[in-house]
Amino acid sequence: MIKSHPAQNLLRDYVAGDLNSASALVVATHVDMCPHCQRHCSAIEAELSAEVFQNSAQLGDSDMQLMLDAIFSSESAVEQRPLTAETSHDGMISLEGKRFKLPRSLARQQARIGPWNKMIGNMWRASLSLGTDEVANLIYMGQHCSVPEHTHRGSELQVVINGTFSDEYGQYSDGDLLLLDGTHKHTPHTNDEDCLILAVMDAPLHFTSGISRLLNPFSNLFFR
Amino acid sequence: MQLQPNRDAPRTVMKTTKPDEAEHLTRLLATVAGDRCRRSFSELFRHFAPKLLAYGSRQFGNEQIAADLVQETMTNVWHKAHLFNADKGAPATWIFTIARNIRFDILRKNKHRRDEISADELWPVLAETSDSWGDDYALDHGILMQEISGYYAKLPDAQRVVIEKIYVEGKSQQEVSDSLGIPLGTVKSRTRLALRKLKELITE
Repeated sequence: MIKSHPAQNLLRDYVAGDLNSASALVVATHVDMCPHCQRHCSAIEAELSAEVFQNSAQLGDSDMQLMLDAIFSSESAVEQRPLTAETSHDGMISLEGKRFKLPRSLARQQARIGPWNKMIGNMWRASLSLGTDEVANLIYMGQHCSVPEHTHRGSELQVVINGTFSDEYGQYSDGDLLLLDGTHKHTPHTNDEDCLILAVMDAPLHFTSGISRLLNPFSNLFFR
Repeated sequence: MQLQPNRDAPRTVMKTTKPDEAEHLTRLLATVAGDRCRRSFSELFRHFAPKLLAYGSRQFGNEQIAADLVQETMTNVWHKAHLFNADKGAPATWIFTIARNIRFDILRKNKHRRDEISADELWPVLAETSDSWGDDYALDHGILMQEISGYYAKLPDAQRVVIEKIYVEGKSQQEVSDSLGIPLGTVKSRTRLALRKLKELITE
């Protein structure tokens, strides 16, 4: 049962197409997994379309006719790109002997997922190249894994794809979406379950306690 | 980040088009899909094109790009009318989502590369097949501080002392230079060497 959903304004920006690609992908992944937010998105689409289409611009008859003629003589874009059948990809990823089924939004992105790199501890990371300036990463935390306490210098959007992790604020499982920023100081960890996360970050983490500060010069290597 | 200033308008006002109009537009879409009816499409076009143009003008501030948005959106409506599903929402909503996707791509195409993620990947409004992924993402089946300490332990003593003073105790390089009685240049070079070494150790 998904407990943590995007805020109304985040969902609205997503539906309006106003989020950057990486953030939109995180929200899309949550929505894929969350029937509640799917209904919400449909409602927002209806609202936005009503709002947007209240206004009309002047369009002369001859211009309209020209456009119509062009449309009627246009070829149907022949199956531009099979959106779902990235045929060689099965929507599964394998890591550490386990297989994960990707939500639809991510399965479409399977070809963009780079190689898995081991970070320190029982953590792995694969970046998703979205062809944009933003960075999205899949992060896998094995069982009994913990990340030292840190804050987020920019903001970070995460969605749990599979598994469970906890921090000082709660426990997050499949589909839960988190928005973290500089006001959150937290220590994520897993217990008996492992966890696969999609994360989008706009600045490296900043570790805040004790010896983990040793990580700060490398934080951009691991956590970006 | 908002499309319209009246974001806080009461919900009731937003309740889309009047039911009659939506039904009429739905019938038009059905005849376009079933009979390739140009007259029905022309009526749809006259209804939506001015609205789409207003949307595009507001989004792009450019009449030509706005006109492209209208053209591209309505071309999709003409060819893909069969994908409209009245159970999922009103025709206006469907057409809005098509325009939203096209706008998303136009905004990005201007400055970016070809391999960029496209709106259709995020919102598969016009996907021909509905994918069959189930809702179960079930599994088929720590960064440890000791480990970090282990990396640091591999540094030569002289470098490790400098790194710990800077990154654990939070001292400046000048302070480290003063407290250890070594030149500032030496502190800097030891820091640099140590970071390079650690990076190798951690990423190998």
